[in-house]
Formats: sequence, C-alpha cells, structure tokens
Amino acid sequence: MTMNKEMYNLTEWSIEISKSAGADDCRVGISKERFVEISYRDRKPENIKEASRRNLFIEIFVNGRYSAQNTSDLRKESLRNFISNAVEATKLLAKDPFRTLPDPKYYKGRAELDLGIRDSAYEQLTPEERHNIVRAIEDACLTAGGEKTISVTATEQDRLGESVVLTSNGFEGYRESTFYVMGAQMTIKDEGDRRPEGYNYVVSVLQKDLPEPKDVGIVTAKRTLDLLGSKKIKTETLPVIIENRNVSRLLGGFLSAMYGSNIQQKRSFLANKKGQQIGSKFFTIIDNPFVVSGLGSKLYDGDGFTTKKRTMIESGVLKDFYVDWYYSRKLDWEPTTGSPSNLIIPPGKRSVKEIMKDLGRGILITGFIGGNSNSTTGDSSVGIMGKLFENGEPVQTIAEMNIADNHLEFWNKLVEVANDPWIYSSRHMPSLVFTDVVVSGV
Amino acid sequence: MKPITRRTFLRTTAAAAVATAAVPLIPSGCVSPGGKDSSGYFESEFGITDGLCQKVLSKALSKGGDFADLFFEHTISNYVILEDGKVNQAYSSVALGVGIRTVNGEQVGYGFTQELSEKSMLAAASTAATIADSEPVKSADQFVSLENKNYYPLTTLLTSIPLESKLPLVQSVNDKCFALSPEIIKVNAGFHDKQKRILIMTSEGTKAEDLLPKNYLWTNVVAEKNGKKERAGWNIGGRREFSFYTPSLVNEVAKEAVDRVLVLFEADQPPAGEMPIVLGPGVTGILLHEAIGHGMEADFNRKKISTYCTMIGKKVAEPFVTIIDDGTIPYLPGSLNVDDEGTPGQKTVLVENGVLTSYMHDKISARHYKVKPTGNGRRQSYEHYIQPRMRNTYMLSGEAKPEDVIKSVENGIYVKDVSNGEVRIGAGDFSFYVSQGRKIENGKLTAPIKDINIMGNGPKMLRNVIMVADDLQMAKGAGGACGKGGQAVPVGFGMPTILVKSMTVGGVKS
Repeated sequence: MTMNKEMYNLTEWSIEISKSAGADDCRVGISKERFVEISYRDRKPENIKEASRRNLFIEIFVNGRYSAQNTSDLRKESLRNFISNAVEATKLLAKDPFRTLPDPKYYKGRAELDLGIRDSAYEQLTPEERHNIVRAIEDACLTAGGEKTISVTATEQDRLGESVVLTSNGFEGYRESTFYVMGAQMTIKDEGDRRPEGYNYVVSVLQKDLPEPKDVGIVTAKRTLDLLGSKKIKTETLPVIIENRNVSRLLGGFLSAMYGSNIQQKRSFLANKKGQQIGSKFFTIIDNPFVVSGLGSKLYDGDGFTTKKRTMIESGVLKDFYVDWYYSRKLDWEPTTGSPSNLIIPPGKRSVKEIMKDLGRGILITGFIGGNSNSTTGDSSVGIMGKLFENGEPVQTIAEMNIADNHLEFWNKLVEVANDPWIYSSRHMPSLVFTDVVVSGV
Repeated sequence: MKPITRRTFLRTTAAAAVATAAVPLIPSGCVSPGGKDSSGYFESEFGITDGLCQKVLSKALSKGGDFADLFFEHTISNYVILEDGKVNQAYSSVALGVGIRTVNGEQVGYGFTQELSEKSMLAAASTAATIADSEPVKSADQFVSLENKNYYPLTTLLTSIPLESKLPLVQSVNDKCFALSPEIIKVNAGFHDKQKRILIMTSEGTKAEDLLPKNYLWTNVVAEKNGKKERAGWNIGGRREFSFYTPSLVNEVAKEAVDRVLVLFEADQPPAGEMPIVLGPGVTGILLHEAIGHGMEADFNRKKISTYCTMIGKKVAEPFVTIIDDGTIPYLPGSLNVDDEGTPGQKTVLVENGVLTSYMHDKISARHYKVKPTGNGRRQSYEHYIQPRMRNTYMLSGEAKPEDVIKSVENGIYVKDVSNGEVRIGAGDFSFYVSQGRKIENGKLTAPIKDINIMGNGPKMLRNVIMVADDLQMAKGAGGACGKGGQAVPVGFGMPTILVKSMTVGGVKS
C-alpha cells in the first residue's frame, strides 16, 4: 500500500504548525472518503447520493495539557489559524499528568500483513451495476412479499476511504479500505392496523464476499413475513436462543464494562473480576485484528499501538480488558488496546434447528428493541421479538416482550453456542442458547 | 436583556474582544447574533453570492426536476470536560459545506461538497441532477429573503465566550456534586456549545439564513454505598446564551444528578407483567415523541408504513388528548426560526381533542398530500437528506390533578424518567428503559424502581391514555438527540402527568 503523498504532506505540515505554535507534542490524522448511496422504492430510484468528504483531527499536548479538534476545512490558511488557536486554548486547561503521547515502544513490531481490507475491484463498480444491484434486491423482496407487501426500500452503499496518522514522536500509519452495504427494509400488512416492518442488511469489505442481491431481497421478505400475527404471551421462565446477528447488541453492554475508562471511572461491574469466572464454560471471546478482509481488521489502534490477537474471555474466565494508553497511566496498569477489532465467539457444532428440537419449548429471539445495559451494576433489560417454539417448531410470533437480568448471572446461563457465526459484521457471533431466562409479557 | 441588533452586536463584541483578548477554543468567524440578523454571513465569509447560487441551482435542474435547493452550513462545536476533579479535556470541531438537492416527484438526487468553490459546487449539483431525465428547468430569477421571527435571540454568541469563563462553570458542578453527598465517588461534567449557521437557497426563489445555537451543562456521577455502586446524570440546556448558566442552574444540575443516583440504592426491580402506568411530567415526553410522534411524520404515512396513514380526521385518542409539535417555543432545543428547506418556523397541532388533524411535513410530503409544508423539513447536516422530523413535541395539559391520577391506581408503576427508547413505526411497538420511577401501591407512591423496560404499542397506548393532569412541563435537557435514518437532530419534548390503562413492565421477577 502506498501512502498518499498529498495527505502525508498536509499531516506533516500540521504537526510543524502546531509545534511552532507551542505544542510539545501532537497526533494528526487526515481521512478522505468517497461514497455512493442508492435506494429504490416503487421500482424507481428514491435517493441517489454521491460525494467525497475529508477531515483532519489533531490532538495537542502542551505544558501537560490536552485538547483534540477536528475540521473539514482543510484550506491551509484556515488550518493555520485553527491549529494556532487550539494550541493557545489548550494552555488554559488544567494540567493532566497522564496525558502524553504513548511510549514509542508500543508502535514497534507492526505485522507485515496485507489485511485485504481494500477491494482492488472497487473502481470497476459502475453506476449501472449499482442500480442493477438495488433493482435485484427490490424485485426479489417484492416478489417474495407478494400481496402482503406495503412498502420496500432497497439500498446499496459503497465507500472507499483512506487515512494517514502521524505523531510528533515517530508514529506513522496509513490505511486504505473499502466497505459495501446491501439491504432492504420492508413493511407488510398484518391483522387490524398493524404494519410490521423488517429489514436485512449485509456489510462487507469485499464485494465478492456479499451474498447475491436477490438473496438479500428474499431474506428481507422472509424476515418481515415472519413478524406476522405477533402477540405477547404470558410471563414465563424459558430457554432462549439469541439469533446470531442479534448477539452483538446484547454483548455490547457487557463489553462496555471491559473498557479502561469505565474501570478507572468506577463504572465497571467487571473492574475486579480479571481471572475470575464471569460466565459459563461456553463463553469465549477472541479479539483478532488479523482476520483477512475483516471489518474490524487493523494493524495499529487509535494510540498507534501495534495490534495483537487477544483472548478476552476464555471458557467463562475474564482474561483481559481494553485499556488504552491514557487510562493505563491513570490505572497504573500495562496498556492493551483501546477498543475491539474483530470479535469472535468460536462456533459450536449444532445448527439452531437441531438445538430447537432438543430444547422442545423456548423462544428464538430475532430482534431487540430499546433497552439498557448498566456498565456500573451489570443490570440489563431489553425488549425482544421473535418466535415461541414448541417441539422444536415455531408456533407463535412474539412482540412487546422483554428480558432482564444482570450480566454476571446471564452469561452463566449460556449453555450452547450454535455453528452459524454472522459474518457480515466485525463481530462474528454465532447464535447463543441460554436457559432459565425470565421473558416478560402479559 | 433586550436582543440587540446586528450592528450593535458587532460594535459590542469588537470592543469585548479587545478588552478580554481571551481565546475561545474555536472562535466564531463572524459575530451576528441569529435569526434574521444573521444575513450575509456566507457571502461575506465565503463569497457565496446570489448569482453563484443561481448558477448552481440551474445545474441541479439541468436534467429537469420539480425544484432544487442549496443548504450551506458552517458549524462550530466546543466541549470542555472535567474528569477526576479538573477541567482537563477540550474538544472542538468545525463543519463546513453545502448540500445540493434535486427533487423530482418523490425522488431525490443529492450531492455535497466541503469546498465552497464554484467548480466543486457545480460537480455536486451535477450529481444531484442525475435523479431526473428530462428538459432543463429554470430556477427563479431572483431570491427573496425570508423574514422570520427569532425564537432564540442572543445577546452574545457562545463561541465568543472565552474558554476561561466556561472552565469555572464546569468545575463548580463537580464541587457541588461532591459537596452534596459523601457517597459520591466520581464526577464527570462538561459544557457543550454549538453554533450552526445555515443559508438555504431554493430554485423557487427563497433565501433563508439562520444561526442556531445549542448548548448544555451536564454531569454524570457515580456513588458508592455499602460496597455497591450506582450512576446517574442530568443536563440542562437549549438554544440558550451563556448568561443562562447561573450558579442556581449549576446547583440544579448537580442536585438532580446526585438525588437520582442516591435513590437507586433503595431501588429494586418490580414484578414483571402488565399493569397501569403513570407517566410523570416533563422528560417522559420522550415516550410521546418516540412511540407516537414518529408515526405522525409524513414520510412514514406517504409510504403507508405508519398505522396513522389512514387516520387523518379520525379519533386516535380520548377527547381530552391534544398533541402539538412546536418550533416556536423560545430557546428550546427543537425550536426553529426556519426549517432546513426554507419553511418558516411554526406550530403544528397533530391531535386535537383526540382527533388526528395533521402529519408533520417536509416539502415532498406536503406536495404529495397537497397541503402546505409545516416547517418540519430537517437534516443533521449538509451531508444529509431532508426528512420530516419533530421539533418540540408535547401533550397539552388536561384537567385532572396529578395527585388524583396517582390515587386512581391501585397497583402500578410511576415513571419519572425514561431513556433508550426505540419504536417500530409500522407495528407501533416500542420499548423504553425506565431510569427513574416508583411503584404505586394503593394509590400511593412507594418504593423506587430501576433497570426495567416498559413496552407497548404506540397507537394503543395513545388510545389507552385515560387521565391527563394539568401540569404540563417541557423537558429542560438538551443533551440528547432524535435519531432517524442515520441522522440525529436536536428536539424538545414535554408531558403532563398521564395515566395509561395498561402496559407491559419487563423485569426479572415473574
């Protein structure tokens, strides 16, 4: 990958300007992005959008003080004033001895890998092909939806981005990446005045890794039609299966307690749990920044640290936290990395269908709505929709229902991991099976 | 203080700048105070003339279309943040650009550029023009400036307030929180101010300019008691000026946050199931906004996604229920002198005495329904499309007394505050997290509750509002934003105390 010279030069110039304005150190990044978005409704384009955007961010360290700024106005004259003002203003803040650029030793040892996050075929995608993709999604969705269909909006988006980051203490980073989204949103007729809406979106770094557009449309229709006739059932304690694509949302509340910022600010229910059993033996999470063409793949993190593969949770034991440079200094801990890359729960052996058969009666959760997860206490509560199944077969669509628990209790109820990781995300999560979950309804 | 004119303001701020020589984090490029007084900013700062806009609009309509518009934006945002006892972090951002839209029926072509050069704008206009495929359409020969009221007149721009003045404000929130309770162990606090200047030029000949301030003071606190920790927060703000943030307001922010965290030590999850719910006044208006308001935005009805799409003129609630979306309430976060497509700020009655009377329209939906736009055409920034969006949404007061509403419930839940709401527009289903509330037992408020959701169906909930009290309050915060279609815009909301016959409460106790 060749560094964009123009971006590099402007980044380097910005460092010089900030140093000459009095900054002791700084980190500067410039990003550029070209993107296209097309959506269709009623078999014609509803929205067509195409543009480029760019941005500069700068973090300034001066006299033990810190500030960060960003701007889309990259004219040199404006930038010079912007940076000079920012340096002056930073001097007015209180000192913070923990704010420094990282020790450069953490920049070393970067893997010499091609992560495959830039689709070399990106420029070959023509406007006509984009329109054909969206038409195919819409057409398949309308056909599969049949008479129940009220409205379908099909979408294609793609982006090509690049970024340069430099620090005054020797870090240099450059990345180029692509990103594609295909999907649709559908509304259908139900009993009375109910109009359930479903959606299906897939995201990928390479276009070739996406499913066929018509399949995206068919799945959208299927997921939406599955919402027909929903009702809430009696409050009951049941086994639940959380469908692969929805696991990430539930896990998000748990992950927030693994951040150094929340630990140092006493907002983490996991703060003193490192090395302890915090979930069942089926609960393992691996953070792997080196997944080829992974949506979260990266060779360096926000601090410039060289990335590493890490086991965060192993067989229910909490092994590591996300601790960036700043909070590592406040905590007096060794830093790890500030945020996740690709998160992987290793898949199990059985399909959801097989597991449902074994469980007999339970709820398959296919969507969450609203809810909250408290990183301080671990308490979590979220609305759900999905299917009640009996004898392994779906018998009733459910909505207006809720599950609530404390994360430390909930992840101990994990009894099986299915074999179906969701690959259209940076979080490769298979469907998960929990027992003894209170599902609130009537 | 009386709002001052642009000319007086220019004089005053010039003198102040010399006297203080202080540096705001990002200073304002221009100093006009807002509303109609903000005229000429983009021409003087960036050379955007009427002639140039006509050229760009002609390009946007070069392949036909019903109309086109340009949305210029220059936004400056500043944040100062306190952590571990010191105001030691500051963040700022500048957004500059123009969004160009061509509308052809209900189809939209859109391009934007961050370079306000003729070449870049014409290129973006060419992109927008691709939505149509017919003969060129002529843009209006000249622009007429929109004369609109100013619902957020300012005497001083926040961006001209020196950073040194903001630091003690934030520090005092921290000090106050710690002083209020020995159980407070961590305080985060901050002050955010944003100044958004916009210029809208339409092919129909409208020229509208505005300056929209938005700011708030916030805190989040963590308390520890008997080895357990809890957290809570509070914020107050709006389209205010700096003098709004008085010592008494600092006390209010700190006290509310501390009270909210301490009550959680006594709180428990109530039994799950269906029960009557009393929504307290003020911030519970977010439930009205999410569960009901979104279904009344015209795009969801034009596309027949909302259950309200066949309900205009029909009864949707009891006769004592009236719901309003209002861009004209002074200084509230959802107030607009002009919307983002050049329609003047106004007030729209959505439900009057229980009957659905209007949707919230942008220009596209107004053309579809053959009505006038209601001033609800909004967008997050120049990078985004227009959508019909709420402004300040509230239910009018009824005649009941709040204490009588509570007394009427034998066994239920009183909701003081909710957050994290989400709604499925078509089905109408929603879920909200109750961050503060109490049980109601035998007509009295009893033990505090926490960490539960309430779920229901928006249209059904509206039909099930069986009492409305006379205590409408508008929420005081400005820290949140409404999200729709990947866009966030500031909104306000309000509510009197109301009783909903039945909703589902989610918990761990079956």
